[in-house]
Amino acid sequence: MTRFEVISGGRAGAVSGPPAAAGGRGAGLLEELYRRHAAAVFARCRYLLREDEAARDAAQDVFVRALRSERELREAASPTAFLLRVATNHCLNLLRASRAAWKEEVARLARERTERHVEPDARELVRALLGAAGTEEQEVAVLYFVDELTQAEIAEATGRSLPTVRKRLRDFLAAARGALREAFPDMNLPDPEELP
Amino acid sequence: MTLDLGGPGVACSSMRVRRFEAGELFGEEQARTESHLVVCARCQTTQRELVRERALLARDLPFETLAAGVAERLARPVPRRRFAGIAGLALAAGVAAAVAIPQLLRPTIDDGNGAGFRVKGGVELTVYARGGAVGQPLSADEPVPAGAPLRIGLAPGGHGYAAVALLDADGPAILYAGAVQPGVLPGAFEWTGDGDGTLVAVFADQPIDAGALLARLARDGPRAAAPGGRAELVIRPLRRGAR
Repeated sequence: MTRFEVISGGRAGAVSGPPAAAGGRGAGLLEELYRRHAAAVFARCRYLLREDEAARDAAQDVFVRALRSERELREAASPTAFLLRVATNHCLNLLRASRAAWKEEVARLARERTERHVEPDARELVRALLGAAGTEEQEVAVLYFVDELTQAEIAEATGRSLPTVRKRLRDFLAAARGALREAFPDMNLPDPEELP
Repeated sequence: MTLDLGGPGVACSSMRVRRFEAGELFGEEQARTESHLVVCARCQTTQRELVRERALLARDLPFETLAAGVAERLARPVPRRRFAGIAGLALAAGVAAAVAIPQLLRPTIDDGNGAGFRVKGGVELTVYARGGAVGQPLSADEPVPAGAPLRIGLAPGGHGYAAVALLDADGPAILYAGAVQPGVLPGAFEWTGDGDGTLVAVFADQPIDAGALLARLARDGPRAAAPGGRAELVIRPLRRGAR
């Protein structure tokens, strides 16, 4: 039996005479998170999902996760990095259901290059190539190419060893190279051993 | 020809710029990043991207929209974990209220009219209800108007954490658990069901384990609410008004 019903926007009186300071866990924290981090989270969701409506939904899911992981969030060395990682992984999970779409995206970028002489935008290319890679490689690729963390920083952020991060990055580039062979036959990708 | 996929530069990182803008860098790292931003065109581009991101957020996902979506998701039942479901409800109430009211809250001084029932210390719990005297706190012996939205005000007396629970014929339920400041908790509730009840507020210097509190209340009643240490208790009877 429900004894309490949530009253959306509810308040006790027409003039809120009583004291203030919205110190409540959910409301205060959510406002603070929105002010500081929502732009980055929403941008990440939009970047990966490429649809406004899907990005809005995903951003809301990310903030629910943040509120439910309050302790983890507060203990994180960087709330920005924590939230972006949650957003990235959530969106990558959503994208896994539609893996086939990346091939069309790579083909589109190749067409634009051939027909309109537009060189592919680095982040668009990375996004398209994510679909060719495995789960862990995808996360490392976003941290490296989008968030621009060094491999050592990625190792620290994800709790993986530096050799593991290096291997994931190498595997991502190998998968990307395979994916690009047909669409961009004259192009190479950077040598993973030379990446910082 | 080699395709450029981006990645970190010698001193450039979009994450570092984000952290700088979010106020997460300190000391030498903050100073170094600030100096770098003055001269680095690439990082200035990142800064401009962040400005665009904020504009897009304000246009496409304003706080009210996000908070409403978050509240709706939090209010969904969490299967197989009864306590998590209840806590989610309390949290969702806080978020839902925040959609409409944060800018309406005004600080005032407690008028000391005895609406709170104090056991000891400088802590207080006050119940506010719409209906009857609009915007006035309910005194300890005043019944709760039927169907009235209720809100809880807390004076934590220097404690950093509080939990508020309701006990009635249906057993205990946690309304709030977390960090606290003097003021009204951000949620409005309607008290449904039958019979009278008791509100219990626990104030402590450490985070309060809401699950353990719920278990103590279920087993031994309101007086067992305090977790020990320097915690303080406020017990406040709730009487139903005529329907």
